[in-house]
Amino acid sequence: MLERYQGNARLLAGGQSLVPLLNMRLMQPEAVIDINRIPGLDGVREDNGWVRIGALARYSAIEWSPVVGSRLPLLSEIVRYIGDRHVRTRGTIGGSLAHADPTGEIALAALALDATIVVRGPSGTREVAAREFFLGPYFTVLEPAEMVVEVRFPHHQMVTAFAEHARRHGDFCVISVAALGEPAGDGGWKTVRLAVGGASHRPFVAEAASAVLSNTALEPDAIAAAGAACVDAADPTDDIRASADYRAHLLPIYVRRVLGEMKTRRRQGAT
Amino acid sequence: MTPLPIDIRLKVNGEPVERAVEPRRSLVDFLRHDLGLTGTHVGCEQGVCGMCTVLFDGEPIKSCIMLAAQADGAEITTIEALNGEDLHPAQRAFKEAHGLQCGYCTPAFVLTTVALRERGLRLERDELKEELAGVLCRCTGYQNILTAVESYLADD
Repeated sequence: MLERYQGNARLLAGGQSLVPLLNMRLMQPEAVIDINRIPGLDGVREDNGWVRIGALARYSAIEWSPVVGSRLPLLSEIVRYIGDRHVRTRGTIGGSLAHADPTGEIALAALALDATIVVRGPSGTREVAAREFFLGPYFTVLEPAEMVVEVRFPHHQMVTAFAEHARRHGDFCVISVAALGEPAGDGGWKTVRLAVGGASHRPFVAEAASAVLSNTALEPDAIAAAGAACVDAADPTDDIRASADYRAHLLPIYVRRVLGEMKTRRRQGAT
Repeated sequence: MTPLPIDIRLKVNGEPVERAVEPRRSLVDFLRHDLGLTGTHVGCEQGVCGMCTVLFDGEPIKSCIMLAAQADGAEITTIEALNGEDLHPAQRAFKEAHGLQCGYCTPAFVLTTVALRERGLRLERDELKEELAGVLCRCTGYQNILTAVESYLADD
């Protein structure tokens, strides 16, 4: 069906982004194709070192999933920042990724957790790393006749933390930062990964900042250097929620907060 | 070109309903204009304020950002389902705690609370705030709403 409309149809999953856009006439597709009745696309299951989440899995289902809670605590934590209960009842993980809002929490989680996005189209199925999936605001590598069918998250043994700034509870974030760290035996950290949302035209893994932090004890100097590296890598824009300058101002503050939280969680024995 | 209507069959407050709807018809407009169930209110029409909350297969959703066609096969519960000789216990709790002023948001809060009770959880006040965050009230300041919800959920 997507082929028939040659890019002028939109898939309707949870509808929590698409239908507001239709209501506001910001999007006027020729056709809306409801995929909610496709069976087998809403599961959450473990498979050989991976957690596989179907594209139609609702946020509430992910939030309440014991598998996600034990294997992907970062995703469990992040999903609670999405909208409100009513939105999480309907909204889906696949819809969020395909929508690719630069402030979207699911996109950030997929990047931070190094997820693989499974995409199906007329010419078959392909797997895309989350790092290669997002091209710009509301713009992904999806071809017009392709859809997201599954998201695969590798198990991890990292300590994680997340923080975001929003103007009001449940609103789109102004800035968000996720951190993952692998503790080293000496009290330091082996690899650390930072992912940033809201600070650029797409969410991104802050490679330089992650490199600065890896093999350190996350001393204040290292954290400050990582914050600066994140600002260098970001390309914030002005919008109704915040100016570019304010976003750049917040970024190192939130980097410091998530890394502080990550250290606290390690001390408390949470992984 | 006007798109053809879509035939839908669903249950609304336990009653079977069959209609042909325009594809663009939102669920809240379907309930209000086609079925005359005006207890479901309309606010922002973009999924923020929660005035249009109804239960979709028992779970709270915002019916302004759902199409009527999507409700085919579903069970929809609106505030009218609570109609009876006496107030529903949830409505009584709101009345007793003074959990409403103008009343515009009340159907949404009551339905959200009824769905919450179905989940059977014991929630702290902070957790309740999180569960109710999808509905806005511009009059009360929320404290009496929270008190009403707590008392309804604690009432065995």
